[in-house]
Amino acid sequence: MISPELKQVILKQLNLDDFDIKDETTAPEVPGWDSLNHINIILAIEEHFKVKFKSYELLRLKNVGDLQKLLDSKLGK
Amino acid sequence: MQPNFDFNKIIEQLKYIPEDPLIFSTSLFLILFFFFLVIYNLLAKNTSLRLIFLIIFSFYFYYKSSGYYAAIIIISATINYLFGKWIASANKFSIKRFYLFLSLIINLGILSYFKYTNFIIQIINDICKSEIPSLDIFLPIGISFYTFKSLNYIFDIYLDTLKPTNSFRDFCVYVFFFPNILAGPIDRASDFLPQIEREPYVSKEDLGKAIFLIILGLFKKVVIADYISINFVDRVFDFPLRYTGLENLLAIYGYVLQIYCDFSGYSDMAIGVALLFGFKLMENFNYPFKATSVANFWRRWHISLSKWLLDYLFRPLQMKYRNLRVYGNIIGIFITFIICGIWHGAGWNYIYWGIMHGFMMSFSILIQKPKTKFLTLTRLNNTKLLTVIQTIITFHLIALSFMIFRSSELQTVFDMLSQIFTFFHGEVLIQFIERMPIIFGLIVVGYIFHFLPSKLENKIIDFVTNIPFIGKVLLLVIAIWIAAQFKTADIQPFIYFQF
Repeated sequence: MISPELKQVILKQLNLDDFDIKDETTAPEVPGWDSLNHINIILAIEEHFKVKFKSYELLRLKNVGDLQKLLDSKLGK
Repeated sequence: MQPNFDFNKIIEQLKYIPEDPLIFSTSLFLILFFFFLVIYNLLAKNTSLRLIFLIIFSFYFYYKSSGYYAAIIIISATINYLFGKWIASANKFSIKRFYLFLSLIINLGILSYFKYTNFIIQIINDICKSEIPSLDIFLPIGISFYTFKSLNYIFDIYLDTLKPTNSFRDFCVYVFFFPNILAGPIDRASDFLPQIEREPYVSKEDLGKAIFLIILGLFKKVVIADYISINFVDRVFDFPLRYTGLENLLAIYGYVLQIYCDFSGYSDMAIGVALLFGFKLMENFNYPFKATSVANFWRRWHISLSKWLLDYLFRPLQMKYRNLRVYGNIIGIFITFIICGIWHGAGWNYIYWGIMHGFMMSFSILIQKPKTKFLTLTRLNNTKLLTVIQTIITFHLIALSFMIFRSSELQTVFDMLSQIFTFFHGEVLIQFIERMPIIFGLIVVGYIFHFLPSKLENKIIDFVTNIPFIGKVLLLVIAIWIAAQFKTADIQPFIYFQF
């Protein structure tokens, strides 16, 4: 389940008021989340949650659910 | 009267002939493929025999193009199968990484030896003013394609997004698979491996699509690409100063259409041929000249390669340099496109081509914000006019890059541009149409078909799907007959084979 906080960081970075982001949502399904903008979203998440991802961990992500799980593991949840 | 039947001649035809690879548009392929389909379907219920037969046929197909060098593919498949297993079973990340680097060194080492040794010698000679002689190295056809296909398998296992196959037989089917071994699409192991053991099934829709794609591919390759290259494009690119600017411009438009028809035609045939015996390969082209930006072009052109480069080169670089923000993207783009250029061939023209694409993509990132502001202010955003303007600009930038791609000497590019800007002579157009009506007609028809709505393609596929089987066969026969009429004495090899 995507946390409202993570969803908010993503939406803010993409300048979107609202978008239905679910576990299985992939980046290309979200308006503006293209391969170039991906860098900004990852940086925004790292800055907001004060975590640091490894490149290898980021390359494995298939959808937003995977991103949430990775973030949870970094936050010790 | 004795029949004129020479058994030895047939045997000779079946052996490796360097200048005569077994490409889809040859009559020998059509005959062999017919027998292949019959036997493959007879073995449909016996998975093991069916797959071993597919491996043997695929290996023979590759032997016909590479002779004894076909053995490299066996070595490559064995190495990558083992590395896949070792990476998956390594319990420490550092060991996984070690195996990944080792497999990269071996795969890229083999590719580099065959493809780049003489280019590197040439560079050393140019820099050091030395005279190291070139080596006599044979370049096995399709080596770049199957190396990248195998590396996709390795990378996905390393990233834990794919489980390695436990069957060396299945892995060989993936690597040797004859429809895409010579020129792609560079299919993903994750999409292909699950299809291998399924009993072959070809639906009515698949059959219709397959027949359509084979006919379309034949038409693109033989009727358009071969014909306009031999009879017009090559002549102008060889001696641009002998022709007016108008002819140079038409030759550039012709070459852009030629390279598209040549390569996408081959991909269409590969996808169609695979569909005929139940395999679905990935889409490789999606009306690339309808692109409204260079980035959009790369989502439509050679999709299997651009997705490969995006996933396994650009993204890792982008993530590595992400603290540099937009400049992280730019570094990633430049390195990716230079490698993309080098992948296409051992020559400076390919590197310049890659740099040009890297530059265009980076420039568009840097001007993105002011561009959006400008378009909002002028209310041009989301208008048809803007789409048309962007499509025309993108097409001409792509055409300029393909001029560089085609010309081993940059001087050719300068000569052609100079003819266009200083010696145009538009009045020659009437004479050109009178003298070369078929060439002109093919270029015009080729582009018109490209820019027609994509819905039309689906309608034609539906039509082919719904005609009776005998009608489909008849259509195919007519297409082969038309292609045979256009076939020139010597078939030009596919442009993309050398990559």
